[in-house]
Parts: sequence; C-alpha cells; structure tokens
Amino acid sequence: MANNSSDKRSIVHMDLDTFFVSVERLLDSRLEGKPILIGGKSDRGVVASCSYEARAFGIHSAMPMRMARSLCPEAIVLRGDADSYSKYSRLVTEIIRDGAPLFEKSSIDEFYIDLTGMDKYFGCMRFATDLRKRIIQESGLPISFGLSSNKTVAKIATGEAKPNNEIWVEPGREKPFLAPLSVRKIPMVGEKTFQTLCNLGVKRIHTIQQMPGEAMRHVLGKNGLLIWKKAHGIDPSPVQPYSERKSISTERTFDRDTTDVFQLRTTLTAMTEKLAFQLRRTQKLTGCISVKLRYSDFKTQSLQSRIQYTAVDHQLIPAVKQLFDRLYKRRVLIRLVGVRFSHLVQGSYQMDLFEDSSKTIRLYQAMDRMRDRFGDRSILRASSMGARSVGSFNPFMDNDI
Amino acid sequence: MKFSLSSSDLLKACQKTSSAIGNNPVIAILEDFLFVIESDVLTIVTTDLETSIVTTLPVMSDQDGKIAIPGKTLLETLKALPEQPITFTVNLETRGIELTSAYGKYRLTGDDVEDFPSIPQPDAVDTINLDASLIHQALQKTHFATSSDELREAMTGVNVVIDFNKIIFNATDAHKLVRYTFTDVSCDNTASFILPKKSLSMLRNALPAQGDLSIAYNNSHAFFESEDTKVACRLIDAKYPNVAGIIPTDNPYTLVVDRLDFLNSIKRIAIYANKTSNQITLTLTENSLTINTQDLDFSNEANEQLSCQYDGEPMDIRFNARFLAELLAVIDADDVQIQLADSTKAGVITPLTAKEGEELLMLIMPVMY
Repeated sequence: MANNSSDKRSIVHMDLDTFFVSVERLLDSRLEGKPILIGGKSDRGVVASCSYEARAFGIHSAMPMRMARSLCPEAIVLRGDADSYSKYSRLVTEIIRDGAPLFEKSSIDEFYIDLTGMDKYFGCMRFATDLRKRIIQESGLPISFGLSSNKTVAKIATGEAKPNNEIWVEPGREKPFLAPLSVRKIPMVGEKTFQTLCNLGVKRIHTIQQMPGEAMRHVLGKNGLLIWKKAHGIDPSPVQPYSERKSISTERTFDRDTTDVFQLRTTLTAMTEKLAFQLRRTQKLTGCISVKLRYSDFKTQSLQSRIQYTAVDHQLIPAVKQLFDRLYKRRVLIRLVGVRFSHLVQGSYQMDLFEDSSKTIRLYQAMDRMRDRFGDRSILRASSMGARSVGSFNPFMDNDI
Repeated sequence: MKFSLSSSDLLKACQKTSSAIGNNPVIAILEDFLFVIESDVLTIVTTDLETSIVTTLPVMSDQDGKIAIPGKTLLETLKALPEQPITFTVNLETRGIELTSAYGKYRLTGDDVEDFPSIPQPDAVDTINLDASLIHQALQKTHFATSSDELREAMTGVNVVIDFNKIIFNATDAHKLVRYTFTDVSCDNTASFILPKKSLSMLRNALPAQGDLSIAYNNSHAFFESEDTKVACRLIDAKYPNVAGIIPTDNPYTLVVDRLDFLNSIKRIAIYANKTSNQITLTLTENSLTINTQDLDFSNEANEQLSCQYDGEPMDIRFNARFLAELLAVIDADDVQIQLADSTKAGVITPLTAKEGEELLMLIMPVMY
C-alpha cells in the first residue's frame, strides 16, 4: 500500500557497500577477497567496518575488536584512514550532485535522492541505474540502491539489494515487500526495541502489519506508532538537500582510563588546536564550544558555552580548558574526552586591536600553510605534543563505546 | 503642600530625567521621581544608582516639601494631558497625592522620601567649561564604538581624557576605535575617566543641545551641569587600554575615496554578505577599489567597483562591513582617507579635511585573510 494515491514520490537510497573496506581495497588490491576488519587495534577498539568475507565468521560492525579477532584470527586488521574515506565520500557526492536533481547526504556513505517527476523522461529506475553505473565507473567503489516511494522503504530495499546490486519496489508493492522481513530491518528498531518485540512474539514485519497501531503505541509509546507506520511502508519525511556541517567535533577514548589532569588537558589542547585549524581552513568561525567527558562508569557529562565568534587557538584553548575545569569535578577515572564546536558561520577571525599583533596573525598564517602542505600535525604547540594523534574526523566515533 | 505649574513644562522635565528610571529596578523607590520644592523652585531627581539626573523648573507653591512620585503613573498622566495648568496637592503626612487638571482629579500615593538614595555631589575643584553641543557631537561620534563585552569592562564606556588645552574622547570594542579630539578648550589640568555606555544615552537625553556646560570630576564620578540640569555619572573603575600605543604610525599606503559613495556601496554589498559575520573584501590596485562578498550558505555574491585614489601595493583586505559602515557614517567630510600597511594591520581612517578645532581618527582591524 502506498501512502495514499497523491503520494507518487520516487526516492532512491544509495549506500556504498562496506565503504571503508572498499576504499582500502582500492588503495591496495592485495586486500581483495580477504577478511578485513577496520577499527581500533587496541583491546578497547570496536569494528567500524568489515568485509563480507569477515561477516561469514559472524563478525558485524560495532563488535568489540577483541571478539572479532578471536572469531577470525586470520583477518587483516586496519586502523582506518579517515582522510581517504572523506576524500572518496566527497568524490561520490560530487558525482551525485552532478547527476541528481535533489539529494541528501545522510552519512559518509549514504545518500537519498528524490527523483519524483523524473519518470516522465526516461524512468526513475533507468536514471538510478545509470547513476549507479557512473559512480562505480568513476570512483571504483561498489554501491547499492533501493528505489521506492519513500525513504524508509528505499533504505530497507538497499539493505536487501546488497552487495553491489539494486532493487525497485514498485508503487503499491511496499507492504508485501516488507512483510517477510525481520522487524530488525526497520531503521528505527535497535537492539533493545528488537528484544521487546521478540518477547512479544513479533519477529516479522508481517506481524506488525496485522496489529492495530494502538497496540504498538501501547508497547513502545510514540515511537511505536512511527514503527507501525514504517512497517506499512508509510514515511512522509522529505529528502533534505545536502547542507553544510553545523558543527565539528573530535573525541578520544583513552587506552586506559585516567585521572591524569595533565594528560587530559594536553589532549584537549591538541584537539582544540586541530579543530581550530579546520575552522580556519574552511573559513569558518564558531560561536559555541562544548566539552564532553565520559567516566569509567560510562556516565557522560558535557558542558557548553557561547563565545564570541572566533577561529583562533589562543581564544579557543583557554575557553575549552575553562569548560573542562568546570566540568571535571568528580575525580573519577575518565574514559573519553571530546570537544565540539558548533554555531558555525562562514567568515574569518576578526582580529583584536589590542591583543593581536601582526606577528601573531602571521604566525597563524605560516603554521596553517605548513599544515596545508605537510599535514595537520606537522606543527604543533609544545603543550599539545604529549597527546597521541587525535583524529579530526573520527569515523569510529559512533561505535567507540 | 500645594503647587501648580504647566503640564507640558513638567512633562518636558520628567522626560529629561526619566531615562534614569529603570524598568524593573532592584529597589522600588528607583521607579520614582523625587520632587523637592524649595522657595518656588521644583527640583526633580531620578537615579539608577549609577547615573543621577537633576533638573529644576519654577513652580507656584504654598510651602516647601518633598515627595517621591511613582514615575510611570505620573509620566503616562502627563503624556495624556493637553497643555494646561495642573495642581498637585500633597499630604506630607499620609503621602497622598492629588493631581487636579481641567478635566478632573487623580489620586495616587507617593513613597517615603527618606528611602530615596542620596545623590553624589561634586566635591572636586577640577572643572572645565565648554559648549554642550560639543559633548553631543563627541558622544554621537563615539558611543557606537564601545564594547558590550563585560569581561573588558574598561571598553564598555567612553574614555574622556582632559589634557590641558584639549579633550579627547576614546571609544573602542577592540575591533574598531574612535578617537575624537577638541583642541580649543581651556583647562589647566589633566585627567582621564571612563563614562559607562548606559550613561551616555542618558547624557544625550538630559543635556541641552547647546549652551554653557561645565564638567567636574573626581575619582568616582563625573558631574555635568547646564543651566537647569545636572547629571552625575558613576565612572567605570578600570584602566583604559593604551590607545596611543596601538595607533599605527607607519602605514605607507593611502586610499582616498568619496565617503558617501563608499558607504553606500558597502551597504549594498553587505546585503549579500553572511548575516552573522558580515565580512567583505576590498581589493585595492592602483586607483581602483573593488568591494565584494560571498555568502556560501545562500550562494549570494556581490561585487562593486569604485573610483578612488590609491598609491600602494595591490592588496586584498577583509573587513566587517558593519564596523566599516558605522565608522564612515559619523564622519562629516566629503572624502575620507584610509591609511593601510598590509592585510594584518589596522587601517587608519580620517576625514581628508579636518574641521577647525577638532580631530577625528578611527581605526579598524581587518579580519584574518
């Protein structure tokens, strides 16, 4: 059943197959056909991405690296290279931007494209297939897509299409398409909700389709009704055009929990320095900073503060440290620290008549030129040298528990 | 106690002093006008504890006395009355006030005058005399450049420097600076104090547009006195940054441009700049000035070219358009001169031809390019 007769949208969901693994294979063809794990190598790391060969061993992403390695000792473990992943992601984004009328980049390797109205010309399926072929040809990365009348069904269809394939769920066929699938496939259903539903004997989407919406609401609250709608292939959410990033952040999980305030401050300094450089490189200013701490008991606290729009280390580092001092009161071991800059606006740093000499500014310019040429950590403050490298963009962030 | 006067005279006097009445003061009595009658002279006093305004006007009265009258009620009543004689009858015991107009009677209750804070009095002998119009001019040219950053308290006010035969007004928010100097004033001492931003608008509102004005000062207050009005301002107790030290003396390149053309061009270009950061780029080559901006979020872009005189190295320099426009707007001259060194140093803006007896110098710091 389609939403209703007036809803004749055509939405494509495209997802790069095992994106990080595919990029690694592109860079090193010896990795073809082998089980590959990407993620932190330390005992506390988790699997950010794994090849289909590794999945055969029961490995899935977000699994602790230690468990994955014991399941498949011969797997090749890679630390991951955020820079090349971003580069390839941008490359694919550009191809889609070039070809598609309206698209949304929902993550580093996922895109929604609104093709509504394109069927008048040469058919949406034909268009999507051509675009997919172009991406494979130009980027060398395998990609799959699902085409349907809304985002939810398109996304589920992509999951079914993988690896390296495509599925078209024709209008009106959404409900029967979803019926035999596991409820776990509905995007909103996580591990916990899945358990709740299993305990109720609900395993297949078909069962939800038979239930009244009220019953789902009763069990799962407001989300229940949303899941019920999705199970019926109803999802009116629009494709949000690609927009600039609203914030930048970085965080770091320590190898061993720590109360070493000196180390924590060093890490925060290094993170701030790195993010501030990113601001300047992309000609942005931040108006809000926040610091996050996760304690060894997994309690997470964060504190944020509005500041005057800026992009320079000598204002941001003291501000970050001040937030940290206000936040770190518990004297409990710390597992993770993070820094986030939000309220980003386009612009450059307004210099201060009294505090910034021409010398300071030229120093920034010179350091930034060196970083552009030789890499982010080619030049640093002495006070941040003790910190091990901090990733500016951390693809493992969401999985790092 | 009974007294009568013209409603519009009273309204004028009340409006002059009402700017020191806050919306929601910490002490209730600060919402009041203090009326003091002494031998047929009515003195109206208001204060917000920082700034106090005192004005006098003649009345007809039957005895001397004091009463604190709720400000909002009185002001609204006076505004709603056409010009006519009105009479106040005050029972000093019960503080009952009866106001009689040609239309009827209005009754309200005053507050205890004992609760009204005392007003600081000038005790110093250091005084200078000048024309009130000079103060208005100086405040108009400087107040906008003050900072609102509470962490840099000194910059939240206008710095007044008295230096024998000149008075200098400095205002800066660390991004732009205005230094306005009167050279033909006579005084025989030196001093420096900071008037808080909030007092500035009160001064502009309370002081007459022209006429004799004397300024007295001590460590904590500055006192402005005109014929019928006195304003006492509590000074900001902080050290003003060294302005002379940051004025570049070796900016080798000079841009001369028609002030209004430049200002209007900036205003048009700024419409297309990012609304939060407001940044525009000036591209200078020999005798040519190009102004442009880009707002990537909306794909907005604007570009204008102006004729000018420029004799320096070609350069791109980026400024906050709002700051630049604010500075240009308060210059009186037809042409302005901007002295530059490079894109990391402050630009010095001055009118090409200075007016007799005054000097105006402005600084603007570029944004990092």
